[in-house]
Amino acid sequence: MATLAPGVPTGPYHAVLDHIHPEPTSFIRKYIFSIDAKVIGIQYMITGGIFFIIAGLLAEVIRTQLLSPNGAIVSAATYNSIYSMHGSAMVWFVVIPLLTGAFGNFVMPMQIGARDVAFPWLNLVAFWIFPVAGVILFSSFLLGAPDAGWTEYPPISLQGPPGTNLWCVAVFLVGISSTMTGINFLVTIFKMRAPGMTFTRMPLFVWAQFATTPLLFIATTALGAALAALFMERVFGVPFYNPALGGSPILWQHMFWFYSHPAVYIMIIPGFGIISEVLPTFARKPIFGYKMIAFSSVAIALLSFSVWAHHMFTSGMVPWLQLPFMIITMVIAIPTGIKIFSWMATLWGGSINWKTPALYATGFLITFTYGGLTGFFLAAVPADYHEHGTYFVVAHFHYVLYGGSIMSMFAGIYYWWPKMTGKMYNETLGQIQFWLTFIGFNATFTPMHWLGLLGMPRRVPNYDPQYTFWNQFASISSYVMAIGTVLFFYILLDSLRRGKPAGPNPWGARTLEWMISSPPPYYNYKKIPAVLAAPYDFGNPLPYLGLDAAPGATEATPTSVSHPVPSH
Amino acid sequence: MAVAAAAHGEHHDGHDDIIYRETRDMRLMGFVLFLVSDVVLFSSYIFAYIYLRDSVPVWPPNVGGHQLPRLDTAFAAFNSVVLFGSGVTMHYALENWKHANRGRFNLFMLLTIVLGLGFLGGQAYEYAHAQIGGWSGNIFGASFFTLTGMHGGHVFVGVCFLIALWIQTSRGVYTQDKYFGLTAGTLYWHFVDVIWVVLFFLFYLW
Amino acid sequence: MAQRVVRPKTNLGPGFWPVTAFIAVLSIVMSYLVITSPWPIGLIPAGAPADATDNLFKFLGVVAAWIFNIVVIYTVYFGIVFARPKNAPPSTIGVQIHDAPILEFWWTAIPTILVVILAIYSVKIWADIQNTQGDVLTLEAIGYQFGFQYRYPKLTQPVNELHLLVNTPTTIHVTSRDVIHGFWIPELRIKADMVPGLINTLRVTPTVPGKYRIVCSEFCGIAHGVMHADVIVDTQQNFQKWFSAQGGAQGAATGSGGGGAAGGTAIAISAGKAQDGAKLFGQKCSACHSTGPFDQKLVGPGLGKIFNDPAHPKLVNNTAPTPQDVAAIIHDGFQGDIGTMPNAQVNGLSNPDIANLVAYLVSLSKK
Repeated sequence: MATLAPGVPTGPYHAVLDHIHPEPTSFIRKYIFSIDAKVIGIQYMITGGIFFIIAGLLAEVIRTQLLSPNGAIVSAATYNSIYSMHGSAMVWFVVIPLLTGAFGNFVMPMQIGARDVAFPWLNLVAFWIFPVAGVILFSSFLLGAPDAGWTEYPPISLQGPPGTNLWCVAVFLVGISSTMTGINFLVTIFKMRAPGMTFTRMPLFVWAQFATTPLLFIATTALGAALAALFMERVFGVPFYNPALGGSPILWQHMFWFYSHPAVYIMIIPGFGIISEVLPTFARKPIFGYKMIAFSSVAIALLSFSVWAHHMFTSGMVPWLQLPFMIITMVIAIPTGIKIFSWMATLWGGSINWKTPALYATGFLITFTYGGLTGFFLAAVPADYHEHGTYFVVAHFHYVLYGGSIMSMFAGIYYWWPKMTGKMYNETLGQIQFWLTFIGFNATFTPMHWLGLLGMPRRVPNYDPQYTFWNQFASISSYVMAIGTVLFFYILLDSLRRGKPAGPNPWGARTLEWMISSPPPYYNYKKIPAVLAAPYDFGNPLPYLGLDAAPGATEATPTSVSHPVPSH
Repeated sequence: MAVAAAAHGEHHDGHDDIIYRETRDMRLMGFVLFLVSDVVLFSSYIFAYIYLRDSVPVWPPNVGGHQLPRLDTAFAAFNSVVLFGSGVTMHYALENWKHANRGRFNLFMLLTIVLGLGFLGGQAYEYAHAQIGGWSGNIFGASFFTLTGMHGGHVFVGVCFLIALWIQTSRGVYTQDKYFGLTAGTLYWHFVDVIWVVLFFLFYLW
Repeated sequence: MAQRVVRPKTNLGPGFWPVTAFIAVLSIVMSYLVITSPWPIGLIPAGAPADATDNLFKFLGVVAAWIFNIVVIYTVYFGIVFARPKNAPPSTIGVQIHDAPILEFWWTAIPTILVVILAIYSVKIWADIQNTQGDVLTLEAIGYQFGFQYRYPKLTQPVNELHLLVNTPTTIHVTSRDVIHGFWIPELRIKADMVPGLINTLRVTPTVPGKYRIVCSEFCGIAHGVMHADVIVDTQQNFQKWFSAQGGAQGAATGSGGGGAAGGTAIAISAGKAQDGAKLFGQKCSACHSTGPFDQKLVGPGLGKIFNDPAHPKLVNNTAPTPQDVAAIIHDGFQGDIGTMPNAQVNGLSNPDIANLVAYLVSLSKK
């Protein structure tokens, strides 16, 4: 057991952390069926990355079709399936698994000074459901993929192609994976923090994962119920949603959105956590407003359960009921705004090391704010009457999902890549990749706000010729984004092949994962460190006791330096 | 878990106890969170039932020109007593385990399993005799058979779980102090009872 | 004497105040443009409630412009000004500040106040829309795969083109025959989902004559992308011309939405069979109507004594309804206080069906 100096708080402390499992020896147990959260995290990253490429290609088919008002790249039926699968894959098979399964698994246990998560075998099962479900999802193309959007509203979805049943199964399964991860992470964060790491000394990325967990295991189950009911109705004729048999199409919308609104917060709160790690590290100053950022994540997560019907303002809900949903949706802007200002204040007065993660985190501030503001336009019911079901909505959610979630993931991948692989990536290429992505993204999605307000509905393979110019502008800009994405994967592969050794702490960061080697040993910490303070005080020595020097550490680059300095 | 302990050679029993307690606390928390997510599953369908029921002017609803009959409350009440009784016996089974009364524990486990199976039998009878048009006929059948079917599925899994736990006790997996599996099984069984209270109210009393 | 503590002024950064001034000026200019710029051709606000909604858009646009400028310009400014200088060692740290309670108070309080103002203003515009007048002209819009049909009062057949009357408060009840569609008129900024089994209600008062578009805004199948139609806002004269061409009488479109003489309907009531009507009643009507006295309400009133119940209010022109009146009500639908009875088209009732129902109701009244 770690012995701590007198007066150093010893709680929470868990003897269970002391034990180191023997390292597996076979290739299969090390890399395929591993219970090491770090390996599982990388497995999630690779799988999610593959689905991201597929879903991105689907997006380029969409944009190519929309290059002309009467595009005929694909048939209308195929087009409908393509955007439905693009959305379904991006939400459930890219963003959620990457932000929770990949980043959460790789980073969070190290950041709390633990060796692994609470239930490593559950973690393994949760991961392997994911690629299996993804294969089931994409195999729906063989039977006729679902074509009514990722929202699959009945009654039209009751008539959908047979692949819709596979879609129900695939999303249901990946939801089980999500639920397991949520339970695993919540127990881990409650029970396995290193001695001295009280909640207010936790890194903000851990706070973000913590806030996300109730969304994972409470909201996701509600979606499972809705999907199972849709499946039962399609396959066995059990009437829930078909009005001809007494069911209600609006019932689906309530059940679906009760999950899917919290889902969008699953897709952003961990991203907030990533930004909260990257900005202090690259500005070399404490995160501004630590407590407000931490608590606001929890507040946003809880509030997210009470706003679902803002997706249903035009569906015919009782008018007075629109008001509380509108008002709470607007109220969520306040904790979110506090974060944005706190992040800006973190940049202020910094000694900013402008590397690619910092560029992405800063770009995030801009594009996520933009997306949040258009969310306000949608929250206001009378404005929503005009905007619902149009390209304005498409613009809004791509701003928050790409400009928010994906940008934060780019920041996170460039940030933690050296820790995962022990190698640096090419910084010059990284910066070029950022600008291609940032400019391409904004050019693609800004015109869509205008297109929607002018009258272009969403989910259409063709459009009125008056919308041609901006659609072409968006499509060509999307090819710039695509080049940025290809470059991204090249950068990663190039780094694997010939990246320079990163050392334990290339960024001079202060959270625990940077105190061990890159890549970390399977047991993370030989001795569990004790934590004396929150991590972000760059002016103070590191607040940890009992860390070993990492293997390969030298006088020049020890880990247990009191003030880490960036070497890159 | 014991590898490092073996490698170190000498080890206090107290330390192992701490390890066990911490592991048990984590598993308990995880199991409770699983039950919470299961509550959400049932709640979603309960919401659907209430919503659908509220969308028609009379309940049971009119189908094909005439109103469907209500379900048989008396029989269901009897079946409920059977299920709740199994909750009581499960409670005593766990109590007796904690006090090392193996014989009594075995008796109450047997009773619990028998009563649980009895409940399932009662549900099968109810399903065969309900005159509400089947699972896919109308929204009454849809909500009733889906919710009670899910509940029955949970009872069935629970019975299998209890049988597996019972076999584990006969193999000496649990001791008087270390019996997390039995705690989990008891919690699950009580959860199934609580869900049934709600369903009984919603379908038979309301 | 106590020492006066002089707190040094925080250096906010070189050029902080000029940048702030720039943000203010830019935001003022953008606000001005938002408020005064007209919509492009093709999206003029063509009546109520579009004008109210546009005011809300402008308000939101002004607030959004200020917040966007503050966030983006300060962020870019901080990024440039606080970059680590080339000659500074990598170990250089930034200002070690954790929070600034007064600043945080204000940047919480001001957005909160803004949110409250926006919420109140949105509620006001919402209320304006709820209170938009309607009912001078009432019609139904029915969506189907892949077009729109409309039922006007006093027209026996549905029409395929929507005509609205300028300066006339109009109620449009929308529903669908098959899947969910979206009924969206961009120039009027109104939208309601057309949900099968439900009736949603819109109220508009178009003020600018012209031809506008209706766009389906909810995915409905393979031809969702081409499910558009025209809506023509007519002057009184043109509307009458069009309405008469559809078979309607002079001035007959406006007025209460239901009841009235059947006039022109070819429902042969005398040929109705009460027995067939009884069966139909069970299938189509009994969900909402009982066969008891008038006040035995389910959704709608009891129909057992509809022709001669002394307790029920006079439904038609202050006199008890005749079988022809009831036939017209079944045919056209009825706007009651609790809800709207869909018309025969939506209910799938043919004219012989109506005759049978009327015969059945007559037989009930005689008991």
